[in-house]
Amino acid sequence: MSLIEVRDLTKDYRLNVKKRGLLGAVQSLLVPEYKLKRAVDNINFSIEKGEMVGFIGPNGAGKSTTVKMLTGILSPTSGSIMMGGLSPHKDRKKNASRIGAVFGQRTQLWWDLPVADTYDLLRYIYRIPEKKFEQNMEMFNDLLGIQEFMSQPVRQLSLGQRMRADIAAALLHDPEIVFFDEPTIGLDVVAKEKIREFIKKINAEKNTTMLFTTHDMLDIEKTCKRMIIIDQGTIIYNGTVEQIKERYGRSRTLVAEFAQKLDRIDLPAGVELIDQKDNKKYLKFNRDEIQVSGLIAELTSKYNILDLTVTEPEVEAIIREIYEGGIDFDKGISGDSKKSLSEQYCVPC
Amino acid sequence: MYRVDYFAGVINTLVMIFVNIAIWKAIYEADDNLGGVQLKVVMTYIALAFLMQCIFVMEDYFIESKVTSGLISSDLLKPISFRAYVFSYNVGSSVFRVLMQLLPTLVISIFLFKLLPPFSTEMGILFFFSAVLGYLVLYCLNFIVWMSSFWFYYTFSLVTIKDALVMVLSGALIPLWFLPQWLFNFVKLTPFESIFFTPISIYLGQVPAADIKTAIIKQVAWIVVLALAGHLLWNAAKHKLVLQGG
Repeated sequence: MSLIEVRDLTKDYRLNVKKRGLLGAVQSLLVPEYKLKRAVDNINFSIEKGEMVGFIGPNGAGKSTTVKMLTGILSPTSGSIMMGGLSPHKDRKKNASRIGAVFGQRTQLWWDLPVADTYDLLRYIYRIPEKKFEQNMEMFNDLLGIQEFMSQPVRQLSLGQRMRADIAAALLHDPEIVFFDEPTIGLDVVAKEKIREFIKKINAEKNTTMLFTTHDMLDIEKTCKRMIIIDQGTIIYNGTVEQIKERYGRSRTLVAEFAQKLDRIDLPAGVELIDQKDNKKYLKFNRDEIQVSGLIAELTSKYNILDLTVTEPEVEAIIREIYEGGIDFDKGISGDSKKSLSEQYCVPC
Repeated sequence: MYRVDYFAGVINTLVMIFVNIAIWKAIYEADDNLGGVQLKVVMTYIALAFLMQCIFVMEDYFIESKVTSGLISSDLLKPISFRAYVFSYNVGSSVFRVLMQLLPTLVISIFLFKLLPPFSTEMGILFFFSAVLGYLVLYCLNFIVWMSSFWFYYTFSLVTIKDALVMVLSGALIPLWFLPQWLFNFVKLTPFESIFFTPISIYLGQVPAADIKTAIIKQVAWIVVLALAGHLLWNAAKHKLVLQGG
């Protein structure tokens, strides 16, 4: 039995359809009209203890709704969720003491209280033993440097400080499962990297299961091994990050810097010149059809080449293509939500 | 800011008592034994009613603001009971008001408005007990109104109607014995009577000793009924909750 088991999960919202204009507003008031929207449509997946899983999808795909159901805030319309043997909605309080959540967009801290008071309050709310509390505070201070703003009210913190304070608050009670919703949104590159390092460290040390929902693919690439892609309420991919690169990132770009400017070059079939700048030429090819070593050997035998680099497409580019419908999913590899194929790809990290 | 709020609260209660007593004095000048009740009894009633009101203040938009802003999710993420949290929040601020507003206002009122002592020591103790029950009746009633924000999102009108009903029917403004008989009979069938009228009547010795038990049982019964209704609404609301803003 996995730590998190989601079976046939569905969530419908009833939306109030508002008509336009003054007449429409009066009409909606007197005769309200509703439309059913299926935010999450019959999804299945499971997550093992200690896994770090990225939950991605375009805006409105249903990922936040799914996360809110996992945390017990929203009740599912149908289907079941088991989190370590508990139903998050029915046993909300028990489940809540075992999970932590970080929302980049809104803080969980008490806005007017000094950071230190928030931690004291959390200590009572989660009934954290004194010793564990002190150990964790010390560790967070070492890794996140929260001491420098401990006595300031939360509303006076910078975004980076607030984020660090929020992450420490979510992990204070040693939760088994932590949800990160856009944990690095709005942060600078250094701060982002620090937070990713911290998250990885906690995962390694405490074997905490972590779920990320983010639009920052680097967050996912740097922390998660597995990725679940949701679109229009259904899971369209459930597998490793490596696998998605392997399957869908077959194209390679070879950047060659020639000794002199060449007007035209002879290229073997299947290699495409996509761009050129000064003496540099960008050549795109499919890794399955053409061997890099062969291509390089051919070019170097014909021309005088100063520099060569091969780049593979970033996951972000692949995901963008998936959202735009450019990549047709091979149902054999992606987790087909209708069947329980998802188990095939439960690769523990 | 807190200091201003605190002094304003004390002054507000004193002014309200003063104005209302002045009105009743004017009425009594025309007829000095209105309905067989002496002026000083009415004056004490008014003073007590306003003193109680300054503690019986509750945050009417606490739940609504959490529901409309979606911030309720942060509370639901914590291993605490949301209802217990709302209740302790209100009780906490009431306790604060007892210490910071009621005590000074009470001392001033005793000298300024010549407040009568309780009818007897026993009635004084029963008054205190009944006032706590009155607080709970009002809380349970309020909770039902607050819970409606899960369906309606904006509860300003409902809260206003509730406030008006409580003001008139619970005896917070007018001693209920001055109401027309048919209205008084109707109020006896509602929970409103239990909020202010029952405890104050006990204090003034207006309730015959034999009926006190019934009056208090009635208060408890209303707490049970209203709390049960609130519980059912809460269970329904949990499934109804739609989170605003992502």
